[in-house]
Amino acid sequence: MIRIGFGKPLLVVLLLLLPFVLDSYTIHVAILIMLFAIVAVGLSLVMGFAGQVNLAQAAFFGAGAYASALLTTTYGWNPWLAAVAAVVATCVVALAVAVPALRVQSHYLGIVSLGLAVAFSSLLSNSDVTGGASGISQVPPLSLPGLNLGENHDYYYLVALALILVVGFALFVANTTLGRRFKAMRDDVLAASASGIEIRYYRLTAFVLAGLVGGVAGVLYAHNARYVSPDTFGLGVMFLLLAMVIIGGQDSVWGAVTGAVLLITARNLLTGVQAFQQLAYGGLIVGTVVFAPRGLAGAAMDLRRRFDLPWPSIPIPWTRRRLAPPPLVLDPADPALEGVALRIDNLSKRFKGVQALDGVSLEVRAGEIHGVIGPNGSGKTTLFNVISGIYRPSGGRVAIWRHDVTGQPSFRMSRLGVARTFQNLRLFRQLTVLENVMVALDRDPARAHIRYFIAPWVVLHKERVRRARALEMLEEFDLVDVADEIAVNLSYGRQRRLEITRALAAQPTILLLDEPAAGLNAAEQEGLKAMIRRIRDGGVTVVVIEHNMSLVMNICQRLTVFAHGKVIAAGTPSEVSSDAAVIEAYLGRGAAEPVTAAL
Amino acid sequence: MIYFVQTLVGGLGMGAVYALVAMGFSIVYRTMGLVNFAHADVVMIGAFLAATLFVTMHLPFVVALVGAIVVTGALGFAIERILRPLESKDLNLMLLGTIGFGIMLQSAAILVWGSFGIAVPTPIPNIPLDVGGVIVTTYQLLVLGVSAAAMFMLYVFLDRTKLGTAMQAAAMDRSAATAMGVNVASSNAMAFVIGSAMAALAGALVGPLLYVNPTLGVYVGIKGFAAAILGGFGSIPGAIIGGLIFGLIEAFAAGPLSAYSELLTFVVFALAMMVRQTGIFGERTVDRA
Repeated sequence: MIRIGFGKPLLVVLLLLLPFVLDSYTIHVAILIMLFAIVAVGLSLVMGFAGQVNLAQAAFFGAGAYASALLTTTYGWNPWLAAVAAVVATCVVALAVAVPALRVQSHYLGIVSLGLAVAFSSLLSNSDVTGGASGISQVPPLSLPGLNLGENHDYYYLVALALILVVGFALFVANTTLGRRFKAMRDDVLAASASGIEIRYYRLTAFVLAGLVGGVAGVLYAHNARYVSPDTFGLGVMFLLLAMVIIGGQDSVWGAVTGAVLLITARNLLTGVQAFQQLAYGGLIVGTVVFAPRGLAGAAMDLRRRFDLPWPSIPIPWTRRRLAPPPLVLDPADPALEGVALRIDNLSKRFKGVQALDGVSLEVRAGEIHGVIGPNGSGKTTLFNVISGIYRPSGGRVAIWRHDVTGQPSFRMSRLGVARTFQNLRLFRQLTVLENVMVALDRDPARAHIRYFIAPWVVLHKERVRRARALEMLEEFDLVDVADEIAVNLSYGRQRRLEITRALAAQPTILLLDEPAAGLNAAEQEGLKAMIRRIRDGGVTVVVIEHNMSLVMNICQRLTVFAHGKVIAAGTPSEVSSDAAVIEAYLGRGAAEPVTAAL
Repeated sequence: MIYFVQTLVGGLGMGAVYALVAMGFSIVYRTMGLVNFAHADVVMIGAFLAATLFVTMHLPFVVALVGAIVVTGALGFAIERILRPLESKDLNLMLLGTIGFGIMLQSAAILVWGSFGIAVPTPIPNIPLDVGGVIVTTYQLLVLGVSAAAMFMLYVFLDRTKLGTAMQAAAMDRSAATAMGVNVASSNAMAFVIGSAMAALAGALVGPLLYVNPTLGVYVGIKGFAAAILGGFGSIPGAIIGGLIFGLIEAFAAGPLSAYSELLTFVVFALAMMVRQTGIFGERTVDRA
């Protein structure tokens, strides 16, 4: 028995029936609402999902409209050909705005994109090519056999079709691998790249998607209004879009649509008091971010959770084939996984004036649990950051399984089989427990996303397999009861456990754990020991930084001791604990004698 | 050559105004970490207040200036108070919140003053002076002088007075400063008042150079904001250099390619940010794993 939702089909039917009950002015408003909904969905994808503060979305809208208007009027192109070219042109503009996003984020990106948007407006109103402040008029209508697209009634269906396609596509992205990678990147860039996500590619993709839908809406606008002018795409419109997305709920496709419906309706009811409208939506933005940062969609979700409301759906008697998820790929008997797992040669890392790592060499054997200990600031975490590709080393080499991987970026190290956890917990905070694991389980390269256009069913199938596998892992590590909980709501101990599970989901051959026992109580520490041993028994080589000596002595076969960025001792726990240099590093000069004497 | 020097001098006037805006933005950021996108519109409100007091109510320019500073100071204080819960939570949300305030201020200005704006005469007779073939107006000199004086006073305050040093300490480490007996809350409030005062001063000075209208924030404020980032987020000398650079780029772009001057300015800015995100005087912060 599965349940088929009928909410969306119902909405589509209502959308298609609407023109029969509306007068021509209201149809005109409805077209406007749908166009803004499309643009807002684009903004939601780039800002809400991918976390890119894009204040140039109105400019994308404008770029599509102006390109189409220019090509059809000044250059006399066929409207459909011009439409396609305009959408492509908008994607190129979006890519140009995205380039700074590769380097700058947050408020920096905000001001850069805002600046480019202001520049775009000023270009439109000053350039002769775009007709200056008076814009471009007499844009020809689109035409289709059998339809009169010069009339609002028929045009409504064209826009409705575009809206259905855009919303459908956005929902598809939002609920599958691409959307999840966007949100992972938004929540924690470092953890996302350590989970194998190539950040650059996803930032560009987010902007291009925003540009794509912005361009589509722009083209549709130009051929409906038949006239384009600079103030239709200025900062006022940008702020209106921003208000739609924030009030609706930033990372919600439906939220963006709802925001567009509410604000455009309000704008049309309140014509003539424009300044008051603007005052109101400015106030709504402030109120939303302070009191309900997840917007209407967030509020709706809370309600649904509290009262356990289901989506509208009907049951149909059909059993979905149960998926047997594939086993994890590691085979402990694999001959490639023998000998030395990780070899560090003469590795050094300098920060401005600080030598964090100074000629470090160490060897981790296949299948062992290797401890890295040392006082605070002795370079242990820096070592992990260099191995996992977050920092580039200043000198020396890193090799895994006899392959040189020195200086490889973080996402590639993840793909090469090195997973890690972080000293100060880096979960994808707003993703559910299940999604956290699914992000890491997802080993498909970025280019596989082309399937969204050419083979969407493969995306869906892979999604089902991944979900089944993720649930199995959660079961194994005792997190399945909180699978749908937002990660940040878990208890601290379980968050730590989730982080290790997530690292393991990336199917590593080498797992780096950075202080996994920090903040755990005695019972949780016992659980952790068992977990680490189980991971090792599954064929994964484990390197663990830890201050908790009883844990280290208990589970590690060999230890490496750091002080001041250098390795001062290495060997079995018992060798290391009687080493004079180690005792001195921990207890200070002269301590070695009395301590040994006392023992 | 004369043309070059003339453009340079022309750019310096607006550059000084951008530098003032940038300083106001920077001092707030460095003291409390608030990225205030509404600062641009606080500048515009300052300009309107000064213009109203000076032009409509015929008060002396200095009185108008002080009045504008007092009101915008209160405004800045209110913005900080409302967004304070977001300070430690989410920089992006806070940023969106300040954009919300910016929208409100702009529409409030339209409601109070209408969308047409006020033309402000210069407070002193604006006489063009010929210095070796280069034309400098007396008002330009006044703008430069007042800006320089304000910047110098801010520097003396931050570096040479006990209160200023305490504010810097609060900026560097909140809890350590509290432990040393610095009242961080009052230091924040002080930063906001100074920041808004800088905004009002910039707004009042720019009034006679441009035309005071509700979109002034977009044209002066955003460039001042960008200047602060270009100079180095939170750095006072950076704000001054960033402001002057913006003034100069704009002046040199305006001559031959006026239609594309804004585009050129912001493309240069975007490229500069990509080359060096931390700006000219900014310090690189390491995102610790």
